[in-house]
Amino acid sequence: MTEAVASPRAAALRPGRAVLIAAVLAVALAVPLGLDPQGYPIRVLTLTLLFAAMGQAWNIVGGLANQISLGHAGFFGIGAYASTILLRDFGLSPWLGMLAGMALAALAAAALAVPTFRLKGHYFALVTLAFGEVMRVIANSWSSVTGGPVGLSVPFAPDSLWMFQFGAARPYYYICLGALVAVTLVFWRIKAGALGYRLRAIKENADAAEVIGVDTFRAKLQAGLISATLTAGLGTVYAQFSYFFDPDTIFGVATISVRMALIAIVGGVGLTFGPIVGAFFIIPVEEFANAALAGRAAGLSAFVYGAVLIAVILLKPEGLLALFAALGKRWRERRR
Amino acid sequence: MSAILSVRNLTRRFGGLTAVNNVSFDLSRGEVLGLIGPNGAGKTTLFNLLVGIHKPTAGSIRLDGREIAGLAPNRVARAGMTKTFQNVALFQESTVLDNVLTGGLLHEDVAGARARAAAILDRVGLAGIAHKLAGDLSFPERARVEVARALCTRPAILLLDEVMAALTPVEMEAFLALVRTLRADGLTLIVVEHHMHAIMTLCDRILVLNFGGLIAEGTPREVAHHPAVIEAYLGKAYAEGGADA
Amino acid sequence: MLQWLQALVDGVLVGGVYAIVSSGLSLVFGIMGVVNFAHAEFLMVGMFVAWFAWAYLGIDPLLGSLIALVVVFLFGAGIQRTLIRPILKAPQVAQIFLTVGLLFCLENGALLLFGANYRSVSTPYQTESLRLGGIIVSLPYLLAFLMSGLSGGLLWAFLRFSRTGRAMRATALDPMAAKLVGIDTDRMHQIAFGLGVGLTAFGGAVILPYLTVYPAVGAQYVVLMFTVVVLGGLGSVAGAAVGGIAVGVIQAFSALVFPVQLQNLVLFLVFIAVLALRPQGLLKGASA
Ligand SMILES: Nc1ncnc2c1ncn2[C@@H]1O[C@H](COP(=O)(O)OP(=O)(O)OP(=O)(O)O)[C@@H](O)[C@H]1O
Ligand SMILES: [Mg+2]
Repeated sequence: MTEAVASPRAAALRPGRAVLIAAVLAVALAVPLGLDPQGYPIRVLTLTLLFAAMGQAWNIVGGLANQISLGHAGFFGIGAYASTILLRDFGLSPWLGMLAGMALAALAAAALAVPTFRLKGHYFALVTLAFGEVMRVIANSWSSVTGGPVGLSVPFAPDSLWMFQFGAARPYYYICLGALVAVTLVFWRIKAGALGYRLRAIKENADAAEVIGVDTFRAKLQAGLISATLTAGLGTVYAQFSYFFDPDTIFGVATISVRMALIAIVGGVGLTFGPIVGAFFIIPVEEFANAALAGRAAGLSAFVYGAVLIAVILLKPEGLLALFAALGKRWRERRR
Repeated sequence: MSAILSVRNLTRRFGGLTAVNNVSFDLSRGEVLGLIGPNGAGKTTLFNLLVGIHKPTAGSIRLDGREIAGLAPNRVARAGMTKTFQNVALFQESTVLDNVLTGGLLHEDVAGARARAAAILDRVGLAGIAHKLAGDLSFPERARVEVARALCTRPAILLLDEVMAALTPVEMEAFLALVRTLRADGLTLIVVEHHMHAIMTLCDRILVLNFGGLIAEGTPREVAHHPAVIEAYLGKAYAEGGADA
Repeated sequence: MLQWLQALVDGVLVGGVYAIVSSGLSLVFGIMGVVNFAHAEFLMVGMFVAWFAWAYLGIDPLLGSLIALVVVFLFGAGIQRTLIRPILKAPQVAQIFLTVGLLFCLENGALLLFGANYRSVSTPYQTESLRLGGIIVSLPYLLAFLMSGLSGGLLWAFLRFSRTGRAMRATALDPMAAKLVGIDTDRMHQIAFGLGVGLTAFGGAVILPYLTVYPAVGAQYVVLMFTVVVLGGLGSVAGAAVGGIAVGVIQAFSALVFPVQLQNLVLFLVFIAVLALRPQGLLKGASA
């Protein structure tokens, strides 16, 4: 009897799902071999993988800890600026710069968490929104270091893994795929582990969680630090991939912060595969809309973006994965 | 007997209202203490002060000789005291097992907590619904899960806030039997309950609270005949039969 | 010294407008518990309404502000009905991102309809000013301040004395009890949202004589409005008045000390500090 009760719920993958994941991974590894290494499709796929990883990093805070951040661009930009400035001024490998950026972002997250950890819901969203904006203002005005509103370019170097630079998109594709797998593993470990239980408890009833011994401040801080650190690392990847960025893009509310959250929400907040599904829906749609419409009507793609957000929330707030699950169930029932 | 908990001059005000007023008492190791009083007397507030949900306006709380007044609830839990919630505060979207397991994480890793949770569910007779969502349970089941979750933190002192409120007489007897076995294992308890039968048969000693202050203290027999208690409960005595659901 | 006095006057005049545009945001939160991230976009809509009223009907923006109020009230009531009402009981993630989506739609909808051009009006008093000792009081600023003060007073009287206003406050205090005594809380929400965004549009119209309107103008005001509202206490309309003046003065003073680009930084830092230290607002206890 105790045996049956103790069977772990999330610790092991169901065999069917493991096979599916292996298959998807194999396809993901093989796809670039059939694509032009310099072409547009592989660039879109690379960006999609990167944004999926970003959505996944946001999901740690927004999905597991239920802290709705509208300021993750702050951490993302810290990562991009830190590695690029260190590369520009000291010729430091972006991999090392990435570590520096991650450390800085962790500091920023801790500095932000200590005075605000009591804040919930709207208040938390507002503070993080302001945090991202503070970073944007600083990057815009501290020109001697950041290059100001003009932005920064990554100094050119010949192809080299150590210098994180490649002429073609294919290596970036594999790096982003690796980043996505890594962030997803982190997310999954947290979700299935003690921190995941603690965060769920806080999300569902913070008072009760405390009374049975959950240190709510510590749990939220841990989640916030991990999420911020990963986001900063991805900022470095973005900088190396895109060669150029400016403050309004990299610290943007719409371009980064809301997009990270949107990707998680559209796929399914708090679900391990939510941001991946979300990114593979949002990013290609955006790219397509931009390519097809942007030249003709400025603002149309952003308008559509907002409309999609509203539609998802009104029609299926649980996200696409839940929609697929519901459709799949109906289909199976029809076949019977 | 040594006092495991001593409370001195504990007071809590909410604006102009004094919900707990200058309360002092000692709790001995292994004792079952009853806490009774009319609705709004301050029983739940007293519990919330003890476990740290509310900060006292004044007064001291010593657990094993250590001052714990003003500590965060998670620190109090770590020190060995926790409570159940009168209005039931389960993690609704988690399973019963996961609810209880979360309590076990105070001292153990996930695997250890899971094993402990399973054993406790067996003991309180909830093993059959371990994989149900807490939000789907009946009220008596929820109250039991509350108790199981609190037990999983391995407390030295457990505060039970009206966990028997919705039980049928048969269920209540089973529950009383459970509490007695917990006590036999060395647990110290404070029990808030409106059911006089439960309180009278279970408790070694009873405190009576009214308008935030202690008005009587003694054995069940002494308290039942105390004039101040009869006065505080007059009217309530008539309603006792039917209005308790 | 004179410089600071001048900054104080400027700050108070601008702050009065901040107060009225932010009071709508506070009203909406106070009565329906929704934080509207799209709120600043209604300022932009109000500016556009007033601009069109001026350009095609020759109506001065100070009068056009009334048209903006009415038009945006109706627009807001419609949005409440279709978009906000369904998510009143939804989790906060849904509430936050629905209004964020609305923000994108309004800003980019305006871009699609009107283009990215900057538009301004010309009025006879645009460049006029009064001199009091060494202090210069710009007339359009003064008029905008007076209009804001007037409408703020009317809002206060409406909430305090009118039947609807009292019913609205009752809804804010305890929706269940309000329902029990026969208040149509659904209608109250609709009026509150319409009025909230309408007041912000009104504020947008009265500042049109000294500013320009373009689709992205709302973005300038998002954090500003939230700072005002949080300073005064989220949900408190009277608090928004105090918060508005405070933010106006902080801005004017920081302009004396810091370079232009850092002005907003001061505002953001004040905002974070207030949220961290007193999320209930600086005036807790003194309710609207
Ligand atoms: N957080 C709070 N803020 C303001 N007043 C409170 C708060 N918590 C409790 N009170 C007030 O304190 C008094 C005591 O309430 P409490 O819940 O402790 O009573 P109780 O004895 O548990 O009653 P019951 O038997 O109904 O559970 C009541 O008047 C209540 O309204
Ligand atoms: Mg109680």
